[in-house]
Amino acid sequence: MAVLAPEVRSAAPRWLIRHETLLAAILLVALVILGLFNERFLTVDNLLNQGRLMTEVGLLALPMTFIIITGGIDLSVGSIVGLCAIMLGYSWKNLGFPLPLAIAFAIGVGGVAGFVNGLLITRIRVPPLIMTIATLALYRGLAEGISQARSVRNYPEWFFFTGQGEWLGVPVQLWILLVGIIVAGIALDRTTFGRTLYAIGNNETAARFSGLPVDRVKLVVYTLSGLAAGLSAWVLVSRVTTTRSDMGSGYELDVIAAVVLGGTSIFGGVGTIWGTVVGLVMIQLLKNGLALTGVKGDATIIVIGAVLIASTLIASSLHGRREVAG
Amino acid sequence: MNEARNALMREGGPAAPLLAVAGIEKSFPGVRALSGVSFEVAPGEVHALLGENGAGKSTLIKIISGVYQPDAGTIHVDGRPLRLDSPDDARRAGIATIYQELLLFRDLTVAENVFMGHAPRGRGGRLDWKAMAAKTEALLATLEIVDLAPSRVVGSLSVGNRQRVEILRALSQDAQLLIMDEPTAALTEYDVTRLFDIVRRLKSRGVGIIYISHRMDEIFQIADRVTVLRDGAQVGTRRVAETSSAELVQMMVGRQIESLFPKVAVAVGAPVLEVRDLVRRPMTRSISLTVRAGEILGLAGLVGSGRSELAQTIFGVTPAESGEILVSGEPVQIRAPGRARALGIAYVPEDRATQGLVRPMNVRENFSLASLARVARFGFIDSAAETRLAETGVTRFRVRAGSLDQVVGRLSGGNQQKIVLGKWLANQPKLLILDEPTRGIDVGAKAEIHRLMCELAAQGLAILMISSELPEVLGMSDRVLVMREGRLVAEFSRAEATPEAVGAAMMGSQGADAGRAA
Repeated sequence: MAVLAPEVRSAAPRWLIRHETLLAAILLVALVILGLFNERFLTVDNLLNQGRLMTEVGLLALPMTFIIITGGIDLSVGSIVGLCAIMLGYSWKNLGFPLPLAIAFAIGVGGVAGFVNGLLITRIRVPPLIMTIATLALYRGLAEGISQARSVRNYPEWFFFTGQGEWLGVPVQLWILLVGIIVAGIALDRTTFGRTLYAIGNNETAARFSGLPVDRVKLVVYTLSGLAAGLSAWVLVSRVTTTRSDMGSGYELDVIAAVVLGGTSIFGGVGTIWGTVVGLVMIQLLKNGLALTGVKGDATIIVIGAVLIASTLIASSLHGRREVAG
Repeated sequence: MNEARNALMREGGPAAPLLAVAGIEKSFPGVRALSGVSFEVAPGEVHALLGENGAGKSTLIKIISGVYQPDAGTIHVDGRPLRLDSPDDARRAGIATIYQELLLFRDLTVAENVFMGHAPRGRGGRLDWKAMAAKTEALLATLEIVDLAPSRVVGSLSVGNRQRVEILRALSQDAQLLIMDEPTAALTEYDVTRLFDIVRRLKSRGVGIIYISHRMDEIFQIADRVTVLRDGAQVGTRRVAETSSAELVQMMVGRQIESLFPKVAVAVGAPVLEVRDLVRRPMTRSISLTVRAGEILGLAGLVGSGRSELAQTIFGVTPAESGEILVSGEPVQIRAPGRARALGIAYVPEDRATQGLVRPMNVRENFSLASLARVARFGFIDSAAETRLAETGVTRFRVRAGSLDQVVGRLSGGNQQKIVLGKWLANQPKLLILDEPTRGIDVGAKAEIHRLMCELAAQGLAILMISSELPEVLGMSDRVLVMREGRLVAEFSRAEATPEAVGAAMMGSQGADAGRAA
């Protein structure tokens, strides 16, 4: 009696019309064009260097993908990066922590900052947008207050390995990002945790009624976001050799742009880590390629904005096709 | 136009059909939804559409209301052929649809809702509020509704009154043909009576009505003709006066249904759930009850009497403020649905769309949602195990789906309900709480669910069933509890539970005291 008709296949295989695939194709075309214009662009050195620059935002984009899939948002990540950077320098220089402990402490502060976001969002049901706008200001204010506008310098030589060193010819932080991508990708695609994220984003009530730990999972993703910000701050301080309270400001927009460009729906329920990675690479290489080709900074932002809009249009037209085909 | 039509009717001449559809065909990828459907609606006729879930009723009304375009076939309105490319075309042709989920603006008033999109305008294009209120009053008067003020905010109205607002809205646009999609699914008996009054009034004004319902008695009360669909094909059209419910049921399902409520007596075992003085204000006030293994305990009451709230308090969605819950004799704290699930409690909620299913997700993912731990190792989902779980469920519950990858939101109501039931039974619970388990489900699927309930009870599952359908409560339950205003007001054994006694206890009339004594 059970009727399982053979699955309907549309003309094109499913993976071909996926947003991520399309985006990757656009990325390739853009690479070739920019490479033709500028011979310094498509070199191993340049690309690896771009990977280095991409890591700080990239680490934030992974948990942000989780958060946006649940239908939430975290605007405070840039401020947490600033706070963590300050805490790293402050606890080392002013509190006399050994540097490794100071690094762990800074990452821990990030975790706490994210946990606080999650706690108020799940317990008091403050909308994530409001909550993280508030902590965007709050955490930045803390960073400025603690640093007293003084920067911390003179870190020991070994400290710069994370941000400037290489391992097997590849920048150290790129390895960290790579591990993060693989772990996050598997967690989202293969685990009950990932499935819960999608369920929350598509129908939070039904997820709750199915006995899924909705609040706990949300608390975890906001905490992860804070921890990633701590990690990102460590990499950033190590790369630029100094600590300032305005570090990471504006990162939240780059992060969200990469995630959304990668096909994650801002309304929740849809998205992949692979998409986010493509979005991330695309933005970074566009910036770099355009700069190398002599396009001025303002114009670069315009191009990136245009790419974001175009990709959204493509995504929605694809979505429309899938609706019909479904 | 209306005048002319009424005149025709008075003369007793053959009225031209208001709507005539012929040879309608519609396919979706992988599914033939409709093949060769033809029927007519005469002015002043109530034409019922009957069929199991997935038989094609929804597709047909979506074609008539311009949401879908047919692959083949013709639609004539008032004898003129018409292409309906959008819902707006249908509206202009005088066709209005009242869907199951009422589409109203909760924060606006009755008058604003009625005239949304075609409000009377004053000078300079300003809204003419006075005219709007007056016109709404006039419409209310034509239907002799006296207890609904145009200035009331719709969000504060009962379901029955909201539906009246929808009907007013249709009439305000001069609708000549009204499509009602299961209008009584969420109504109390009293509201159903009032709805039928309105329908008869509309009939006398020459409005044609397409009426979709699963409730056989309603069709015999209100309809003139009935068209039966099965698997997208038209089985036949009958005059209601010349058919019987047995014939219609047979046409619908293509087989004879021996009994609607096949409850068989089974030995009742030890208590599975005991609840003592459970309180969660405002709707759960000091409730005590016991459900035993193998027992089906019916929970009757009017809509809004606090039955679903009680179920959700037991299940941990809205944890109790005070009182005791014992599962298999052990006192437990249930502060979240996850805890209830771990204790072997399953809850099939009333509202499939928002509480039961994640509709954008597919069949497989929905089946495993409440039992992810069973198909995962160390948190990793074993996709083969998950597929097996879903396949077992699809076969056991006879779910009609294109594939396991099909998005659940596209399945019919009955199939969706089977998935909700299946996803909870996959978890092998000890106690099953069913909240309106057969609402909006066709006769065939309903009988299947009832048979399944008996089977599960026989296997020792304790079942707490909430239902607003009295025949279902009386037919399926070993024992019936009645709730009113957040309290248990009466208990009946199966033998004592007569429709009169239970009904009286629900309404809080004289009989309730007799019920309490019993």
